[in-house]
Amino acid sequence: MKRIITQTGIRIPLIIWSIAVLYPIIWMFIGSFKTNAEIYANPWGLPESFGFQNFVQAWSEYNINISIFNSLIVTVVGALLTLVLAIPTAYAIERLKFRGSNLLFTIYVSAMMIPMVLGWIPLFFLLMRLNLLDNIFGLAIVYAISQLPFSIFVLTSFMGTIPKSLEESAAIDGMSPYGILFRIITPLSMSGIITVTIMNAIQFWNEYFMALIFLQSEENYTLALAIDFISNEAQYTNNWGTLFASLTIAVIPVIILYAIFQRRIAKGMTEGAIKG
Amino acid sequence: MVQSNKQKYTFLAFCLIPTLVMFSIFTLYPLFSGLYYSFFEWSGSSANKEFIGFSNYIKLLNDSIIPDTIIHDYFLVATKVIGIMVLALFFAVALTQLKLKEAPFYRIIFFFPNIMSVVVIGILWMFIYNPSLGLVNSGLEFLGLEDWTRPWLGNETWALPSLVLPSVWAGIGLFLLLLMGGISNVSKSYYEAAELDGASEWQQFWKVTLPLIWPQIKVSILYIVITTLNGSFIIVQVMTGGGPNNSTHVMGSYLYQQAFVQYNFGYGATIGVMILILSLITVLILQLFMRREKVEY
Repeated sequence: MKRIITQTGIRIPLIIWSIAVLYPIIWMFIGSFKTNAEIYANPWGLPESFGFQNFVQAWSEYNINISIFNSLIVTVVGALLTLVLAIPTAYAIERLKFRGSNLLFTIYVSAMMIPMVLGWIPLFFLLMRLNLLDNIFGLAIVYAISQLPFSIFVLTSFMGTIPKSLEESAAIDGMSPYGILFRIITPLSMSGIITVTIMNAIQFWNEYFMALIFLQSEENYTLALAIDFISNEAQYTNNWGTLFASLTIAVIPVIILYAIFQRRIAKGMTEGAIKG
Repeated sequence: MVQSNKQKYTFLAFCLIPTLVMFSIFTLYPLFSGLYYSFFEWSGSSANKEFIGFSNYIKLLNDSIIPDTIIHDYFLVATKVIGIMVLALFFAVALTQLKLKEAPFYRIIFFFPNIMSVVVIGILWMFIYNPSLGLVNSGLEFLGLEDWTRPWLGNETWALPSLVLPSVWAGIGLFLLLLMGGISNVSKSYYEAAELDGASEWQQFWKVTLPLIWPQIKVSILYIVITTLNGSFIIVQVMTGGGPNNSTHVMGSYLYQQAFVQYNFGYGATIGVMILILSLITVLILQLFMRREKVEY
């Protein structure tokens, strides 16, 4: 009896917090189907009919399709580049013990704790000189490097679990070290590679501040910048429906990834935090 | 393995050099050169870059907005640490000790805001705080508390505290998982022994759970402090842009304004150096402060 009472008592705050988390998100979805008049008349209720006019407007008036495309490019290029740079280094640090390998690892990992905001001012001028300012590929490079420490950290701990005997027998069979890295280690670390890639992709898809600094023209805006732009305009035009539609577009890919990879994402993030 | 030293070093270089070069160009060089920029007066064009020694640092000490930005940052650090740790600990204990059937459901829901974009979170909460349409003011009116309604983000006193709730809302899930991991590693026998000795559930929490998950608590606090000092300006930029009347500026958003809005790049870099130094000092002090003998029973 006592147990049932404590259980119900504990459930109340849990349920309240669930509602606090879910309600704004669900309401954002609902809002994206409402007309502006409806949002004003009844901001927190259900729409009378479901219409896609807000999405159409986001598409036609704010060119959100271009921003989605830019965000996709930045995310995919950034995530691939991170892997290309992180996998060989992680392997060398973990398996080819060389003089200074621990120092190198420490340098990479401690970069996770350094506030990068100081570096953004010189980075701005560096990108300008390299003609990569206001360029989505420039942004993808900056993103990839920013996630390098996290990726190297997770991948080394992952490669540490692969049995050494596999490499040794491959080497005896005459396989080159390049072959061992690409044909043995990389496939065997696939689970870690997937985790890292999902985390990085979500990070790049969501990122706002570096995009704000390093992109300038509207045709290069990523989704986060486009949403910020629509939000600033909505303060005057009160075009909330379009704003909700664009927020919905930004959140749906993340929800899909979370639905599929919930465990991986949670594990990847807690591991990153423990090291941080 | 039959391979010459030369082959071995070529392979090592192949693995390490490209990454290290890219990392040096895009991370190490900007950090050090930021330090260097802080000794210049510079509006961006190469012609008028002038070495001015420590003048930017003297300006920093005399800038009346700087102390406010530091206070605002540490206000966010303190309130976020307390808010997130209290709620995350409570939820973690509830979800692990009470064996609720639907525990995974809560875990999945609470974690989701952690992977939402700060832009989305900020805009959603701007609408929740909206003076006429927002949930907060409508809720207060519904409860008959009209006097309490206010333009939350437009009010100099309330704007900064209003930023705490979205940060806690978005942050809890990760620390909930960290703490749950710690609690589920505590052996059941400690609780059984405590129960035999007649310890109440409350005493068990203070004497058994808390000391044994201290490492996880420490990691969580450090992580909240670091991420807040290094990243609180993002939600500030989205939700208030530092306003009204500088009442929500934190160090990072002030740097952004000085460097990228007013083109005082040298002074911006000086603020960046301050952020770097303060966050390193804070982490060191915290680590000394939270050093505590590892508990083993």
